Amino acid sequence: MTTFATKKEKKALIERLNIFTAFALGAIAAIIVWRLSLALLPADSESAPLFTREDKITLLSMIAWFIGFMTGIGALIAPFRWVQGKDLSHEENMFYAGKDMGIKRYFRYTTDHKVVGIQYLVITMVIFGIGGILAMLIRTNLGKAGGGWIHPQAYNSIVGTHGIIMIVGTIIMVTGPFGNYIMPIMIGARDMAFPRLNALSFWLIVAAAIPLIWAQFIGGISTGWSAYNPLAGQSPLGMDGYIMFICIFALSTMVAGANITTTVVRMRARGMTWNRTPIFIYGVVASVALALPAFPVFFLSQVMSGMDRALGTSFYNTALGGSGWLYENLFWIMGHPEVYVILIPAVAALMEMAPVFTRRPLFSFNVAVMGIAGICGLSVLVWAHHMYMSGWAPLLSAPFMLTTELISIPTGMLFLVLIGTLWRGRLWMTVPTLSIFALLWNFMIGGITGIYLSDVPADAFLHGSMFVTAHFHYTLMGGGLTGAIAALVYWFPKMTGKMINKRLSWIAFWLTQIGFNVAFMGMFFVGLQGQPRRVEAYAEIFSKGNLITTIGAYTIMIGMLILLYSVIDSWRNGQAAPMNPWHAKTLEWTVANPVPLENFEVLPVVTSDPYGYGRSK
Amino acid sequence: MSDLRSPGQDYFQSKWWKRKDVKQVIVLWIVITAVIGYFSSQFQFWAMGKPASETMENVINIIITFTWASSPVAGFVAAIAIQALFQRGHYGDNPPPEAEHNISSSPRATATFLIISALLCLFALVVGLIELQKDDQALLDKNAIHINVTGQQWAWNYDYPGSAGVRSNVLHLPVDQPVVFHVTSKDVKHSFWVVQMGVKIDANPGYVTQTVVTPNKIGSFDIRCAELCGLLHAYMQNKVIVESRSDYEKWLGSQPDTGHTTWTAEGEIG
Repeated sequence: MTTFATKKEKKALIERLNIFTAFALGAIAAIIVWRLSLALLPADSESAPLFTREDKITLLSMIAWFIGFMTGIGALIAPFRWVQGKDLSHEENMFYAGKDMGIKRYFRYTTDHKVVGIQYLVITMVIFGIGGILAMLIRTNLGKAGGGWIHPQAYNSIVGTHGIIMIVGTIIMVTGPFGNYIMPIMIGARDMAFPRLNALSFWLIVAAAIPLIWAQFIGGISTGWSAYNPLAGQSPLGMDGYIMFICIFALSTMVAGANITTTVVRMRARGMTWNRTPIFIYGVVASVALALPAFPVFFLSQVMSGMDRALGTSFYNTALGGSGWLYENLFWIMGHPEVYVILIPAVAALMEMAPVFTRRPLFSFNVAVMGIAGICGLSVLVWAHHMYMSGWAPLLSAPFMLTTELISIPTGMLFLVLIGTLWRGRLWMTVPTLSIFALLWNFMIGGITGIYLSDVPADAFLHGSMFVTAHFHYTLMGGGLTGAIAALVYWFPKMTGKMINKRLSWIAFWLTQIGFNVAFMGMFFVGLQGQPRRVEAYAEIFSKGNLITTIGAYTIMIGMLILLYSVIDSWRNGQAAPMNPWHAKTLEWTVANPVPLENFEVLPVVTSDPYGYGRSK
Repeated sequence: MSDLRSPGQDYFQSKWWKRKDVKQVIVLWIVITAVIGYFSSQFQFWAMGKPASETMENVINIIITFTWASSPVAGFVAAIAIQALFQRGHYGDNPPPEAEHNISSSPRATATFLIISALLCLFALVVGLIELQKDDQALLDKNAIHINVTGQQWAWNYDYPGSAGVRSNVLHLPVDQPVVFHVTSKDVKHSFWVVQMGVKIDANPGYVTQTVVTPNKIGSFDIRCAELCGLLHAYMQNKVIVESRSDYEKWLGSQPDTGHTTWTAEGEIG
């Protein structure tokens, strides 16, 4: 197919590697290591305080899978050449970029940021699909009082898997598809700063998926997504799958974070000063820059958890001198910045769209930047508000209450920017426009309930209840996912060259938003009544609220299915999109559909700010 | 001179409060604030039910206070959103004409917004700190009785150190008497939650944590585990029976000595 292949007569190794060789090599490596470790590892001694042989075997096999997969996909070719003292030839680089490769380039180690963006978009939708199915299982099981029809062990595993998979899905939902596809074009660059790292960050996520699926067959993740120790220590082998999954995913996030940050700092077009850099870029950079310190901690916390399980160390095992509080601290030092990793780019995407659909400048660009920066700064100082009731450090409750409540000020700035932009604008009613209103509504409820939770005495009642679950769904789903879906509708014409079906996306929007509010209002209600989180059975008094929540959840499901159909159908048969359907002023709309391999023939020079709408009087 | 000013300042230096849209927003703001505050607080009262201790009364008060304090903020955002939503909708494939202004900032509006949100934030903090201080002092109450709580997969056990080795799995408490709970766990992390009394503290293996409450209603209330603790977490719940002093003494006297006297009143593992 390529001229490159015919020149050499024989297919080069780099051309032979793709997703199939990756899976094959990963599976072979895992099986070999599994058999070897089964045969060679000594049995646990009778007197050992912990039995670790099975965990060693599982973790070693998963590591082998990981190395095999990454070798099979071709991630090691370039480093290998470099060790040999050579670099990739121009043709090989072009092959890597997926030049003239058609559909095949989506299934191999392709470095073109647009391919990576589409890959991220598809994997995000797959993740939400699976996470959504798990959510429906949970809600169906909780449809009526008393135990459901799912075995408690399976139920706990569904809850844990739903949690972690949705967290991963929401982390990548904006910075993955749009941060990779749109961001480089928006700043007027030809590609990311490190295209191979870009491909690496995507394929790491695929590599990570297998341990998570694997975990389901060896005991599941029955600890919730937070995998607190010592519960994680006594959990079945599925926990090792969780640990591997997090380690590989954290690697992916770190790689993507370094890449995106460098790209934005170094590769903005000439004339794109920080004042002329679109707010979405700030959101993406803030998100990944926040992930950069957070995810190494997550990685470390899981390495330590794995060592406790497989090597008999005692970082978290109180009986042997460790502390579960250590795990909680490490986990939430990642966990709280992480919610802003999710939220900031979604809100920034809506701030990007607000001027386009109100036909006026973004209100207070500087305040928006300050708000984003303020949230980033404060969000690393609030982690222990998850631990008010843990007993770890009662004296720190007050300072953490202070930092947590302070976050409402920069968050308020983001609200100010959005309502300021809506004020006296000429509204163009589209799904993204309505999404701004939906975000204001949902995120307002999520934010205010967050203030109740930040208050220590109120948290003594609310902590660990369904109220918390409803609160973070309001922020991450009602805020974050709403922004991500709006971003999909907004950038769909550029990414696919087609317009998204208007009628269906309207219907999907209303169904998901109404279903969402019904579902999580019901959940607030049972939370205030006193229903704990993560229970598979509940008392009779909670049955009304839970039934409402389940009905709402089914409404969301229908809405999401319509959205999925609308995306697939429009992608395949939609009407061709013009170059700039929204008449927006940012750079991504100045390139043709489909976007050429190198985006710009001549790199653009920016001479005005991207929000110059409105008539001056 | 006017060329040097940003359009935003012009806008604010005119009689902006006489504008039609400003008046609409103000009316909407007042109405929505009242509606949100009223219905949210009713929703919360309804859901949380009757408190069984002063601590829980305070929790409800804090939540209602925060609701009323934040409803003007929510009302303001909603008022602007609704005003925008119903003013000038434009449907179609092409954009509407550009807005008739290009105001890109307003230092005055920003400053006002920031000052008000900082004040509200300070208010929330002070409310929380006052209540936190009360709870901390209650732990030192000399009149309190002490009860040791042990969580294990998947039940709670209560030791009454003042008595001769009484252990129960349904908690009994005398009414109007401060109780300090010393909470620990035998296996994994649990969270000891006396629902209607509004207190909760995690049960950590190897550590003892404290919380305090004074039940002020006679009756039977719920205790649930609020931290996922494995297979039967959902079933790790039981009742607390609050009774009169004499009933409590009678119950305590009727219980057999189970020999669980390894804990001191301070809750340290002896």
